[in-house]
Amino acid sequence: MSIFDWLFHMTELLRNTPLVEFSLRVSDWPFALWLQSHFYAIPAFQTVHILAIAILFASTLMLSLRVLGINGLDQSLADSMRRYRPWIWSALLALFVSGIVLLISEPVRNMINAIFWIKMSLLAVAVAFSFAFQRSIRMRMATWEVSPDGHVSLRIGAVAIILLWCAVMAGGRWIAYAPV
Amino acid sequence: MIFNGISQTIENSAFSSTIASSEWMFPTIETIHVIAIVTVIGAIAIMDMRLLGLTSGNRTVRAIAHDTLPVTWVAFALATVTGLLLFVSKATSYMVNPYFLWKFAFMIVAGINMAVFHRYVSKGMDDWGAPAHAIPLNAKLAGALSLALWVAIPFCGRVIGFTLGVYYTS
Repeated sequence: MSIFDWLFHMTELLRNTPLVEFSLRVSDWPFALWLQSHFYAIPAFQTVHILAIAILFASTLMLSLRVLGINGLDQSLADSMRRYRPWIWSALLALFVSGIVLLISEPVRNMINAIFWIKMSLLAVAVAFSFAFQRSIRMRMATWEVSPDGHVSLRIGAVAIILLWCAVMAGGRWIAYAPV
Repeated sequence: MIFNGISQTIENSAFSSTIASSEWMFPTIETIHVIAIVTVIGAIAIMDMRLLGLTSGNRTVRAIAHDTLPVTWVAFALATVTGLLLFVSKATSYMVNPYFLWKFAFMIVAGINMAVFHRYVSKGMDDWGAPAHAIPLNAKLAGALSLALWVAIPFCGRVIGFTLGVYYTS
């Protein structure tokens, strides 16, 4: 069985859940109808969504490159955290809000779609991993320049968090190409 | 129109039709394109916001440029290569799409803005943002223009996805 067959099968299973009725009801909401009937509305919210992931991803990348010792060595790891951490979490909030608007704009296309739920699972892992990663940085940052304790595991984490967000973005792009 | 003939020839090439007819190639290239462009926008925004004095106030502009420029160039190269591959697979539809043409025009303006910045505006950049050294107004304007362009570029990119095949050459 190919991956396409498997995804098709998963979407078939979603068709037998109460999600069908729920997503159909959402698509009748006045806000959903408004989004559907204004041509620029969906691309505008998609743009907000893209700008938000751009801020989150680039901030995470800068923090990770600092942990890897590639970038930003003129400032301490604590300074790097202070600069990028608030932007990561604010951008995540903007991603949630714009994402919910996009979900309302096309409820059936998203909720009855195996790839959408794969993306949501990856997102949950990426968010949990971001918490854990930043917690580890906070625990290590006072001694980061003087002691190599925890450098290896944090550097593996720095690479992993970048790959995780790439996987989330890939999931987002592939929602449009789900085999149905 | 000559462009129509050229884009038709490009689209009809074996290379282009391989991408267009494959089940997974177009979305895979598009995924890499999205990740690359997201990285470009985010890295450029960090630099622009520093120029505007909104963030990283404790570091010089030079330090921020050092952090963001290599990331920007690598990601931009990747976005260009993947963008070209996407373009050749549907060249005729893109060439008549006004949002594609706008996106291209905005990217050219962004490129000129960046070239002018690095060639002329950035003279004396080593001092910018150091204690008691202000950032010149020209540099701030370049940063503001860049931010605005990099909002318009993904917007046009998204609208292309909704309008491909809507426009035809007569």
